[in-house]
Amino acid sequence: MAEEERIGSILLADCGTVTTKAVLLERVAGQYRFVARGEAPTTAEPPWSDVAAGIRHAVEQISEATGQHLFDSDGNLISPASAGRQGVDAFAATVSASQPLQVVLGGLVHDLSVASAERAVASTYSLVKATLAADGREGASSEEERVRTIRNAAPDVICIAGGVEGGATTPVLELVESAALACSMMDTGTPPRVLYMGNSQLRQQVVQIMEGQGELRVTDNVRPTPTEENLVGAQTELDALYVQDKMGRLPGIGAVSGWASVPLTPTARAFGRLIQYLWHLGDPSKGVLGVDVGAANTTVAAAFGGQLFLTIRGDLGMAFGGEQLLQKRDDETVTRWLPEPLSSDEARGMLINKELRPTSIPQDVRELRLEQALAREALRTTLGIAHPGWKPGAAQPYSQFLPLCDTIVVSGGALAHAPYPAQVALIVLDALEPIGISTLVLDVYGMAPALGSVAAVKPLAAVEALDNGALVNLATVVAPVGLARPGESVLHVHITYDGGGMLSAEVHYGDLEVLPLPAGQQAVLELRPLRHFDAGLGGPGKAGKRRVSGGLAGLIIDARGRPLPLSGKPEQRQAHMQQWLQAVGG
Amino acid sequence: MAYPFETQVTPLTTIRRERILPVPGDVLVRIGERVEPTQVVARADLPGDFRILHIAHSLGVPVSRVKRCLQVNLGDEVQRGQVIARRGRLSANSVKSPIDGAVTAIGGGRILIEAPPAPLELRAYVYGVVSNVLAHYGAVIETTGALIQGAWGAGGESLGALKCMVKNPNESLQAKAIDPSCHGMILVGGAGISDAALRRAQELQVRGIVVGGLPPELLSLVAQLPFPLVATECIGAVPMSTPIFRLLATHDGREASISGRMQPRWGIVRPEIIIPLPAGTLPPTQIQPAAPLMVGTRVRLVRAPYVGAVGTVVALPAHAHPIETGARAHGAQVDIGQEAPVFVPLVNLEILR
Repeated sequence: MAEEERIGSILLADCGTVTTKAVLLERVAGQYRFVARGEAPTTAEPPWSDVAAGIRHAVEQISEATGQHLFDSDGNLISPASAGRQGVDAFAATVSASQPLQVVLGGLVHDLSVASAERAVASTYSLVKATLAADGREGASSEEERVRTIRNAAPDVICIAGGVEGGATTPVLELVESAALACSMMDTGTPPRVLYMGNSQLRQQVVQIMEGQGELRVTDNVRPTPTEENLVGAQTELDALYVQDKMGRLPGIGAVSGWASVPLTPTARAFGRLIQYLWHLGDPSKGVLGVDVGAANTTVAAAFGGQLFLTIRGDLGMAFGGEQLLQKRDDETVTRWLPEPLSSDEARGMLINKELRPTSIPQDVRELRLEQALAREALRTTLGIAHPGWKPGAAQPYSQFLPLCDTIVVSGGALAHAPYPAQVALIVLDALEPIGISTLVLDVYGMAPALGSVAAVKPLAAVEALDNGALVNLATVVAPVGLARPGESVLHVHITYDGGGMLSAEVHYGDLEVLPLPAGQQAVLELRPLRHFDAGLGGPGKAGKRRVSGGLAGLIIDARGRPLPLSGKPEQRQAHMQQWLQAVGG
Repeated sequence: MAYPFETQVTPLTTIRRERILPVPGDVLVRIGERVEPTQVVARADLPGDFRILHIAHSLGVPVSRVKRCLQVNLGDEVQRGQVIARRGRLSANSVKSPIDGAVTAIGGGRILIEAPPAPLELRAYVYGVVSNVLAHYGAVIETTGALIQGAWGAGGESLGALKCMVKNPNESLQAKAIDPSCHGMILVGGAGISDAALRRAQELQVRGIVVGGLPPELLSLVAQLPFPLVATECIGAVPMSTPIFRLLATHDGREASISGRMQPRWGIVRPEIIIPLPAGTLPPTQIQPAAPLMVGTRVRLVRAPYVGAVGTVVALPAHAHPIETGARAHGAQVDIGQEAPVFVPLVNLEILR
């Protein structure tokens, strides 16, 4: 208690790839409240080459708003706070500005050990430069090809998985031999580390093969049985490598670390902690999902049964990776989400231009629509990697759809600063396709990761900041699951508003309806679905009541169907996009 | 306070360029030495090709018998076609080297042959003086001149005389304008370039092209060109910013270095044109962080509908304003020569220095 009272103000910062955000929390009337925020371009690159400068620039905006000086004339953080409202009592920061770990993955079977290794690697900021699967699915099947692939990729880490406990040995050892040979042939400074996460019975032989060839680290087998996955050990090692080799080498990070009251944390890890923390505050039978679309990364964090599942797509964000996505996939991958035609050349040009000026925002509506289309695809792509690794238990009534999620936290500059909240809600619905009843909350101040960092050491500050508006209700969403003819009535909705007033509506299959439930308004929602439709109340046909809160985009009933039907005809699809956008008021 | 990104469009400055090898090698210049753009300043050996020969498998012998079959030893140099291992006396039961190289590893029934390393020569790129030497890795070359940073680029580095091909920055570079006098020159266009003009430039072996915007449909073609291309504004048919066009046009006929290399993050490298110019005393370098954006600062607008426009900040409103998309943003009122100043989000401005 005495400790909490002593900390009257907390400065939180997030050093992103292109933007650095800062938020000031102060203890007012016994509770932590949001006071002011600022943001500025990240300064990891010349002419600054000092991430601390970006924090100071962001904090200048806080100082302008509050009149408080948080830094002294030498640019050092004043802490603890001194008389005359100078400085802060505590500082915490999250970081995603550093280069990701460059990884080559090796495993035996693409859908088993390689998939598990991919998920382990995706839990930290990483780029998979090449994958070697002994089943030949990735092309590099001969030893020579494997060595060449590794040498050309010049990774920071070679992750080798494979072999269930007591299972295959020879192909795993062949992968290790290839890695050892490649390491011995790379004379460009430090050879890559080898992280062995395969059959534990081979560890001694792996150590022998790697002796004198490069640094070896060993973790638990990520795929001990065909049906079991154990990523914790590998994730911990990879996180440590990222913090040590990448985050720790950011210019100016030493000063930032020196100001911090708690260790600096990778942004996605801290975001994950917040999601895990929110799960403990909510309905334990459901999950909590968090999505963060940054400039260079997309993060999906899910918590089920108290366990966190963190997935980062390190090569795809709102500024970087869009054009490469177009090149790798079908031309319509991104443009299929647009309400009007746009040639693939034009789309490619716009995405390159965004990469050239990553902090810029669209002033032209067509460019805005393309960025929002990219956000959908970035989320869908990351979700596609994340979902197979989740263990949602009873929260997953339908294996082909998203598990039931009580809360979905939406973070990232492009979403938080979208012109209209309804646009953000529609992006989330299109990208994640939630089912049942969920509350969408928006990280308007971009402080969710930093709060996750604080939650680990000062949970009270995180709880109170959350209670006092750090996250804003975006919408309550009801998405019934079932099949019907278009236009058939599938759900009866009745809203009884606190303070008086009622509203009833019939929702038809294919509809996207927005019903009035403004932010701050509470209501009781009664749902009566069609016999074989599941509205998230315990199974098909089950009716019931739920207490719900309003949001910036109201109460959204998404009866468009799951999976979301997208027409193969561009004109028809664009008409649907236009119609859905108008339906939510975006 | 706002600290927008900066683009250098500078008539005269001190320019320093690090010339760094990707692997350790030999530095061939000394501090104070005067260098020319094509002069090799550092040299290194890059790892060559290699082959792994599975002797045991190819000869059908157990791993333990491979040693007896080998016709070479560790460290031996071998020629392509040379017999590496033989089982018995029949030539059909032999393994030959597929490349020239050296035997660098033997074990597990296999043999590794590595080809000789490929030499890498690093050139000075600009006229100048060696101001620093980074032992085993390279040198810093210092020069004075005009510097123009581009927005997008492709290709490597080159050297040639600037040849202004258009009368104004709104004009597109056409194929018919490219004649044999363009051979060996760096062509300066305006608003864009056509497919035919790119092909014509390639035929006439130009040394580089500078345009305002590059139409996106030409990206694939540009990636195949043997010379660098720099777009000063963006991808799209966009006019070149007037200050950049004027600066390039002023130096029409003067020799320049051009680089299309770019890396948008993690050690940003921007495409550029460097025009070496004599200077009595060393002008200041412009790598130091600038002052924040203020009224009177010259800025370039980087997003549609104003992309490429250059103007002066006339006001910095304290509060966020609505923009064309419906979003609200903190911004600046910028005079770009229209009837009234336009409101532009701060994040859509670049300071021109």
